[in-house]
This record gives sequence, structure tokens and C-alpha cells, in this order.
Amino acid sequence: MSLSFYRRVAFGLSPNEKPDKDPLNWAINQLDTIPDLLWPGTIPTEKGLRKKYGEWVYGDREVLRKKFKNDKHAYRKAKDELRIKTGERYYELNEHAIRHFQTKYSKQPVFERFWLFWGNHFAISEKDFLAEFSTGPYQREIIRPNMVKTFEEMVQSVTTSWCMIHHLDNSESFGPNSKKGMEWGETINENHARELLELHTVSPNAGYTQEDVIQLAYIMTGWAHKWDRKNLETGDIWFDQEMHQKGDKIVLGVKYKNDAKRELAKVIHDLATHPICIKFVSTKLCRHFITDEPTEEMINPVIEAWNKYNGSLIEIHKAVITQAYKYNEITHKFHPPEIWLMQLSRMFDLNIPLSFEKMNYTFKSKPNNRQRQLSWILREIGHSPYRAKQPNGWSDLEVDWVSPELLLRRFWFASVELPMLVKSGNRSHGFILSCLKNNFEDHKNMASLIDNFRFGTSDYDLGQKYGVICNLPGVLKI
Amino acid sequence: MNCTRRNFLIGGSTTLFLSGYFPKISFASMQKKNLIIISLRGGMDGLTAVPVIGDKRLKKLRKKLILEDVLNLNSDFGLHPKLEIFHKLWQKNQAAFVHATNIPYTGRSHFDGQNLMETGAHIPYKEKTGWLGRGLLASNIIGKGLAISLPMPLLLRGVPQNNNFFPSPDFVETKLIDQIYNEFKGEHNELIKSTLDTIRQRPLSMQIATDSDDRKKLALEAAKQLKDQSGPRVAVFDLDGFDTHAAQGGVDGAHADELEEVNKIVTILHENLGQAFDNTLILTLTEFGRTIKQNGGYGTEHGYGSAILIAGGLLKKSQVYTDWPGLKKKELFEGRDLNSTIDSRAVYNSAMSVCFNQDPEFLRKEVFWGDELPDLSQELFKI
Repeated sequence: MSLSFYRRVAFGLSPNEKPDKDPLNWAINQLDTIPDLLWPGTIPTEKGLRKKYGEWVYGDREVLRKKFKNDKHAYRKAKDELRIKTGERYYELNEHAIRHFQTKYSKQPVFERFWLFWGNHFAISEKDFLAEFSTGPYQREIIRPNMVKTFEEMVQSVTTSWCMIHHLDNSESFGPNSKKGMEWGETINENHARELLELHTVSPNAGYTQEDVIQLAYIMTGWAHKWDRKNLETGDIWFDQEMHQKGDKIVLGVKYKNDAKRELAKVIHDLATHPICIKFVSTKLCRHFITDEPTEEMINPVIEAWNKYNGSLIEIHKAVITQAYKYNEITHKFHPPEIWLMQLSRMFDLNIPLSFEKMNYTFKSKPNNRQRQLSWILREIGHSPYRAKQPNGWSDLEVDWVSPELLLRRFWFASVELPMLVKSGNRSHGFILSCLKNNFEDHKNMASLIDNFRFGTSDYDLGQKYGVICNLPGVLKI
Repeated sequence: MNCTRRNFLIGGSTTLFLSGYFPKISFASMQKKNLIIISLRGGMDGLTAVPVIGDKRLKKLRKKLILEDVLNLNSDFGLHPKLEIFHKLWQKNQAAFVHATNIPYTGRSHFDGQNLMETGAHIPYKEKTGWLGRGLLASNIIGKGLAISLPMPLLLRGVPQNNNFFPSPDFVETKLIDQIYNEFKGEHNELIKSTLDTIRQRPLSMQIATDSDDRKKLALEAAKQLKDQSGPRVAVFDLDGFDTHAAQGGVDGAHADELEEVNKIVTILHENLGQAFDNTLILTLTEFGRTIKQNGGYGTEHGYGSAILIAGGLLKKSQVYTDWPGLKKKELFEGRDLNSTIDSRAVYNSAMSVCFNQDPEFLRKEVFWGDELPDLSQELFKI
């Protein structure tokens, strides 16, 4: 088995890790439990950050906009101060640090790769201030704990999470015949219902109609945030009977009797166990770990495991890894920029993320450049994880990641920025060679390409070396 | 008239051989025509950009947002003083405005709205390609799109081999690119290899690092590329910040700052396209307009009808093209927004038909699913 397997299913091997005698077992044994988050710094709760979100929107919308309505300069200044005070500028940086610390040091890196996958399958795209406050904790508190449960349980949690409900506007969806719908003349917002079908479960392959979307939206009415004058839209999610559409509903030919809040769990059960959903999500898993266009042969064993173990994610993950192992030598997979960065960080022991002491924030001034560095790099290489442009998340296809500028950005990062992230003890040529040897069969050939600079340890020399080796075909792609 | 440059050369020589006659119109279609779209994200306020003159109701509802001095367009409409270049071009029949227009979307969500302004569809997130990408593909114009942004904008997706320009903060050495290029072999590396080809064939001016936060430099480079006969035919710029819920202001408010950015880009394009400006159309695109009434923060909320700002030598004449719905309460959309009486997709479809030498009827079917979009090319553009 070639060493590329460690990059296919994880992030490569760090300098103090050695290839395992049984790589398949090594990988499969990482999936039964949820590894602790290792970040030694602050890990705020979802609820705590939602409160901060509330302070920020309330302060801006209800206080500053009114106070400074005649003076755009004073308004901007006051707004900047509020950003600092509420952590609007800081929390996303901290979340990136938590995430990248985990992928760099986790003892279960294969589990972490699935964490990234599910966070992107149930993506929260860039909207309002979700990336600033809520998407990170959603990944930690909603996605992660469900990864040892069933797919259905994951969908239930995601669908009723504050983050997803806010993201897809379900709080603005009123049953037209509900008490509030009638009183206020409001109707449904189909957004969340459509994405639950299209992106999260059955996909358009199920052939649902607009009427199915409407009926599912009816079932979902009432699942909304609590609202009050001080917290605005950041209250907890509850089921508001007065928003809920009365009467029976029919989705994909199945009738759901008028049953208030219990309707949602029933329809999610049916969607999450629908054969087309199982095939759709299995295909996406294989696409992520095996190749852009996986064949039926590759996908079928995953579907079988799904059915045999009733949607147990642990067993589904094991089946995916088994397939990834089986096809490792004959398939290719291009990795998107963030995974590439995580791999470089782990394989070459780079100085990212910043130490937790230095990430410490006082809420008195803007985060400094060092604190912003990782998030800045992610943005510059085109892959800021919590800012997908659309609810379908970041693409898993090579074709979407290979544009002239997106490639050049990787060349730029490896040749200009990366040298500044090399630890002082790791600047020797020998260190690079040992990392290459640990991770690539053709390390000798790779080494020969940078041999001209073997005596150099300056940033420039390191840039010449890393610029080449980080962008070789076998590194960008396995 | 399905005539890309390549097709023309093949078809043209046959005509020449058979008749010994080279039709004059084909010379015109050989001349490269450029289409430039500037996305204005956040909801551009058409009534601030192109204010209606002397409307008492508007004055009453927008006490704090009224512009003291506007540039004169005609007896009904003025122009925001920050949009100087449009005023200058107006004198030369090279600027026009379509007013009370929007995509057919009334939901007031930025995200759904921006998705729809790019896909041109009716249901948010349903389509995965942009109307401009589909228009290029239908017109068989491949590899001629240039995005002035890092990711490929949704608007341009749907056609392969687009280029983009949004340089990294530092220079990447050519030698490094060459060295990496030489290592890419084999069928599975073809996409990367061909993209590296695109990079290596870039003109020197596109190889340098620049500050991608500096829109002036980006616009300057875009103009250079568009001017080149063999360069891109389509460019897409992205601006945001039009969502002015507070301190929107008048001549110097927050909305004015954003209009100034548009003005900057168009000024640079105009100055640097030179003669090519005569064969260019620049159009703005936004997700919705803003409420008529100012809010408690002297800003405005998400609305419906807006305006399209257009510049370029392919305009028929200077005009405010509109079917003005009026601003009385009952004339407003849901009693609060300027109505939209022109589906803005009709304007974009017509602009594509002019720039891509394509039948608007054909494009309407290929790009907009045969939606009822009247052909406005006769009214708006030189054809």
C-alpha cells in the first residue's frame, strides 16, 4: 500500500508518526469514538456565542443606527468599537485555530476528515453573522457529536439547530392557515424545506415536485427561534404551534397526519432512510475520499453497509475507508485548498495555528496580524471554510478548484508565506528530506528537484524548495 | 446571426469563393465586442443613483436622504453627483439607464436574490450555472470569460476555461511555475496542465503581483485584456456594500461611497479601453432596490425595483428607459417599494445578443428557459 493512503483518508504523517503495518486497520480503528478537541485555548459554547451574536446585532441595529443616523463617520467608528467588544472580529479566527489544531494533532485524523466532510455536507454558507459567531460552534456541537450516531439522528439535530434554521430562514416560515399566519397574512418560506430535500437528504434524483417542497415546508412551519426585544433573532429554537400549518401533509407520496411537532421527526425518518438518499450521500462520500466520479462498484459496498447497519455512521465510515483503501492505487483525487494546507501543516510540522497563548484575546482592540494569519491564509488560498457561497457548501470536484488564480495562490503560499511558518528547528534540508521520505514513495525524485538549494536555510531558499514540492502533481493530487 | 470569430472565418472564405463578395456586415461582426457586468451586491438603490425629479411624495418619505444637487439628465430624472463618468458619457450618447427594473424576485433576501441575479432563475439555488456562462456556451464562445475575483463567480459558470485575475499579495516566480509545469504528466493531470498553460501564456502585465484590494489596478488590467482583439470578451466585476440600512445619506452618504466605486471602475475602463470602448457594453446587476421610505436609522430596507446603469459605445442613445410605475402608495410594490415594470433579464438577454452576435430569441430559449423576455436591443443598443 502506498503512502498516499495517509493523505487520501487523513492529512499525511507528521514527523513523529510512522507508517502503520496495517494501514486499513489503522484507519478503521479511528472511527468508533469522538476524539476530544485538543485546542488548549478557549472553546466557547454555541449558546454563549449566540449571546454574543445577539449583543452585536442588537447594539448595531437597535442602538448605533439610531444614535448616529446623521453621521456616517461616527457610526462607522462606533460600529468598529462594537465589533471589538462583542468579538465579532475574533471568534471566527479562534474557530479556525480550533479546527486546524485538531486536524494537525488529532490521534484520529481519519475521524477528523469525516468531520470536515459532514460539516460541508450540512454546510452553513456565508449569511448575516453566522461565520463570525455561529458556524464554528455548530460544527463542534451539532455535527461532531452525531458522527457516532445514525445519519437520521444527524439530520434531526442539524434540521432543528439554531444555525441551520437561521441560515435557511425557517423562522420566517408561517403556515398560511396557522393562527399567526392568518392574523399576520404570512405564508411559508420554502428555503429550508427545499434544501432538506435537495442537499441534505434525497437530492433531485428523487424526482420531488414543487408541491412536495411546499408540503414539507408546511410540516416544518413552527420550528423557529424565540424572539424578544433584547436578543432579537438569537433566541433558542422551539416549536411554535401558532405558526404551524394545520392539516395532513403529503411528501413524496407519504401521508403525514396532522400531528404538530412530531410530524418533522417522522418525515426526516422517511427521507433519511430513503434509498435515493442513501445512494446520494454514499456517492458524495465516495467522491470525497475516492475520486470525482465514483463508479457503482465503488459505491455499492457503502450502500450495503448503510442498509445492513441501519444508517450507523460508524459503519458507513468504515465501509467508505475500506473502499478508499481498495481503490487507492488506481484512482486519483484532487484536494481542495484547506485540506492541502492541513496536510502541509501536519507533514512538515508548520507553525499553524498560532499558539493558544498568542491567540488569547482581550476584546479591547482589533485582533493582531498574527492572530488573523491563519484565517487570512485560508481566504487568500480561496477556501475560508465557514464562508461557502451557497448552502451546497464547497465543491468536491477538481474542476471547481483549478482556476489560474486559485493555482497561483497555492504557488504563492508555498513559496512566499510558508517559509515564515517553518519552525526554527526544522529549517535544515535534512528535515525536509525526512518529511518527504515519511510521506512519498518517490521522495528521491522530489528531493532531486530541490537539490540546488540543499545548503540554503534562508526564507528565500526554503521558499524555493517548498514552492516546488508542495505543488507537485503527487501533492496537489493523490 | 450565429457568428463567432472562428465560425466567421470558415464561413467567410466560402462566401468569398462563391460570390467574390465580402459582405460589409461581416467586418462589423469580426470586430470583437465586449460585455462587462458589474455586480452590485447588497441591493443598489435606483432612486439614489437615478433620482426622479420633483416627486413630492419621495421628498416627504426621504427627508434625510434627498440629494441637494443632482446632475441633470432630462426633465424627469437626475443623476447622483458621484456618477460623473456616466454624466460625461451621457452627453456623447454613451450612457443610459433602465429604471424601475429588477429580476423577477420579490423575497428581499440578499442570498436568494444574489443567487437569482446570477443564475437568472426563479427558484433560489436550483440552478448551478449563471446566465452569462450559459449565454457564452450557447454562443459557442469558449475561454473568453474573465472574472475579476478569486473564485469563479456563479454568473460565469456553465462555460469552461474561464480566466480570472485577482493576484496574490506577492509575486510568483516564472521559474517556479515552469519547474512545476514540467512535472505534470499523464492524462489525469490534464486539467491542471492546461490551466498552467493558461497561466504561462498570460501577458506579462497579468503575471505581476498587485494589491487585489485596489480595484483601480484590477480595472486597469481588465481594460488592457479586453482591448486585445484575441483577449477576453466578457468581464465580471464584483462590488459589495450597497446594503445601507443606516446613514445612507445623500450626496456624501454610505450609498454615495459605493456609487463612487462604480464610477471609478467605469472611468478606468473608459479611459483605458480607448477605441474598444465603442464596441463595449458595461451593465450593472443587483439583487433588488430599496424601500422608498427611509427607516429609523436614515437608511433604507430591502426593496424591489431598482435601476441598471449602462455605459458603452454600443448604446443606441442616451436615455432613461422606463415604464415608470409612479411612487403613490397604491403604485408601489406591496405599498413600500418602487415597482419593477421591466424584467431586468430582458436587458441582459438583449445585451448578450448584441455582444455575442446572437439572435435574442435563441438566447432567451437557451439561457432563460424561454421565459417571456421582450427583445430590447432595438430600443437600447446599436445593432
